[in-house]
Amino acid sequence: MLGLATGPVCLATCGPVVVPWMLVQPQGLRGHSRQLFLFLAARLAGYLVFACAVWLVGSAIPHALPQAWTGRSWLMGAVQVLLAGALVVYAAGWSHRRCVVAKTTGNLVQIGEAPVVKRSGALALGFLTGINLCPPFLVAGVRAAQLAHLSAALWFFFCFFAGTAVWFFPFLSLGFLKRTPAIVTVARMVAVLLACWYGFSGISILIERTFHG
Amino acid sequence: MRTRILTILAYTGAALTLVVAVCVPFVLMGAFSNAVAHAGLHIDAAYSGGTVARTIDRGRYTIVVYQPVEPRLLERIEPFVQIVFEPAESLPAHVSDEIDLDGDGRPDVRVSFNVPADANAPLRGDVTALNATYISLTNVAGESFSRMVVRAGKQIVVRIPLHEGPARR
Amino acid sequence: MASRSSALARPPAFRGVGRSILLTLPMALWSLLMFTPSFQHASGDHYIGAAAVILFMTGLFFLMMRTGETYRWRRIFFVALGFLFPVGFIAALVAERGTMSIPISRMVSGDTPFCFMVTPSIILPAAFARTVIFPGSILPTASNPHSIAIMIGLWFALTLVMGKAWCSYACFFGGIEEGFAALPKRRRLHRFITRFGAQLRLIPWAILVFVVLVSAAIFEPVYCMWLCPFKAVTEFPAVRNVETAIQMVVFIALFVGLVVVLPYLTKKRTQCGFFCPFGAFQSLFNKINLFEIRINREKCVDCGLCQTSCPTVALSKDSIREGKTLLNCMKCGACVDACKKDAAVWHLKGTPVAAKPERARLLFLYGTWALATMFGGSVLANGVHTLIGFLPLK
Repeated sequence: MLGLATGPVCLATCGPVVVPWMLVQPQGLRGHSRQLFLFLAARLAGYLVFACAVWLVGSAIPHALPQAWTGRSWLMGAVQVLLAGALVVYAAGWSHRRCVVAKTTGNLVQIGEAPVVKRSGALALGFLTGINLCPPFLVAGVRAAQLAHLSAALWFFFCFFAGTAVWFFPFLSLGFLKRTPAIVTVARMVAVLLACWYGFSGISILIERTFHG
Repeated sequence: MRTRILTILAYTGAALTLVVAVCVPFVLMGAFSNAVAHAGLHIDAAYSGGTVARTIDRGRYTIVVYQPVEPRLLERIEPFVQIVFEPAESLPAHVSDEIDLDGDGRPDVRVSFNVPADANAPLRGDVTALNATYISLTNVAGESFSRMVVRAGKQIVVRIPLHEGPARR
Repeated sequence: MASRSSALARPPAFRGVGRSILLTLPMALWSLLMFTPSFQHASGDHYIGAAAVILFMTGLFFLMMRTGETYRWRRIFFVALGFLFPVGFIAALVAERGTMSIPISRMVSGDTPFCFMVTPSIILPAAFARTVIFPGSILPTASNPHSIAIMIGLWFALTLVMGKAWCSYACFFGGIEEGFAALPKRRRLHRFITRFGAQLRLIPWAILVFVVLVSAAIFEPVYCMWLCPFKAVTEFPAVRNVETAIQMVVFIALFVGLVVVLPYLTKKRTQCGFFCPFGAFQSLFNKINLFEIRINREKCVDCGLCQTSCPTVALSKDSIREGKTLLNCMKCGACVDACKKDAAVWHLKGTPVAAKPERARLLFLYGTWALATMFGGSVLANGVHTLIGFLPLK
């Protein structure tokens, strides 16, 4: 229920990453379903890793949780910087070995050849958005830390994931959007802009924590 | 035949565009503005302060207490509660009020500030939290949308940040 | 390659004086109608400002009729608009609050004038949460007449008539860079723009998608807070911490780079063509607008003059081959005026290409210039009135 209720926040967190990534993929429901599945699977992995971590902290040193809470900014900053890097590498077409910047014969120019479907891209982005500490994720983390058994904490996060994942299915509709080289190029540019945004945000958080504790 | 019909339609459309252009300053602009005004939109609480919870009458002036504002989605503000002292002209030279924000009958914060006679003079104030929900502020002016003591027209607007995370939950 | 000035040189008398006056008469009456309220002002400055604008707008329209050219005369209006808007706006800000910066107190009291450039950023939060992420007011108030309802109503009404032509007949920001682009200087970076034009013109779309997504996620008008070059000549959040200081640096850098230096060097509207997300958003309205520019393939000799003359790279070799302009064409008329073979023509969708290009131009200009007079004219009048106030006449 928590997952379903807080889904829009998850959508806001992951949407800016998912939309350009999906648009870079070739047209078609099948390919998009596979990419979304990989993304969500990696996101689930991120959730479960986090569930383990908070349960261990919560059960081993209960009094440390509030302090660990205030220290979350470090993790958030680092994750955002990594996310920025992943966006640049995978979505913006890091590999330009086969780059064929079409001569300006067309009004729409494709940077890079037909996009290469990379599983690692969806996995990396899914995992990093999975451990990106958005507000509902933190609420879920507190509840998981208070549970008696690790299995209960994992089950709790699995259910939380299932609730939020429902909100991601509308992204499959992007598969029907006609792919033109222009759309792919714009999606890659968006990914680069988002990388700048996450990079700036992450570095700001890290600098602030360094100087202000 | 098709070309002829299309041409007639095109010129009809162009004539209509001209009619629309003539109507813009007299009818359309106002009509569209009214439509936006009645669309049920409201300004984000980070700017407006949210909805009024209740008012406290202090005789010469009134304190308006707002509902706490939580960040929406990934909004980069601290949660806060807004209180407004009005009218600013009726406030004494020094205000120091203990205010019950959550309506439980006990004061939650003490707000104190000097009211300059000049409405444009800088304003600074202090907020002392009387329980763990609120965060104290010292010598604050307009630092951020969640921490402020500012004069906005005929009002003194005070925003007090709330603790995030487990401490409040 | 011929320079634009020589390309623009045409026989001066496209139409006789009498016919030109007749065609201008409706616009003269419209201008009078629009500015009659100004004559009721007690101030002589208002009277002079309004009278000057009526003469200016009517005079330019007459020249459009007489010479058959659009771009040159429109540019004079547009540059005046671009430079007089900040004059009036900044003077009003300084008179009211003593500074161009917006203190946080004015933001929380909803006193920030709404700018149409924010429109794309607020759409998703308004649609899904009924929340406007802008520190203004929905309805006009005594301290903020430029409310969200008024400004969106105005923008939408104008857009219905103008479509993307908003960017060359109404947007006072575009006039600033068109002014810098018009300064005499040899064109630079031409090869770069020709080579990468196709990618460059996609950047505004990327910024639009980015701004819409991130604004919806963080509930902030991202373009307004971080990317608007025109904050440097209008108003900006007061610097109160490192973040607002960085924002200020970004605003100034973008303004100097995209609005001053690059237009001066390239003779293109670089901010409009390669950056502005609102311009990309406005391009969508080209789909529903009836007027467009087409290339008559029977006359075209593929000389590329139209492509070179376009200030926003809205023509490519492929599009010329197809006889069309691209989606981001803002109907400024530069290509039509530049074409020596009369192959680039004004066109009414649905009619045969080049059947009655001058009729299409007239129909387009009557609607668009009328609204340019109403909206831009009032901005010009305000600027003139402000300038007169600076003169040591009294």
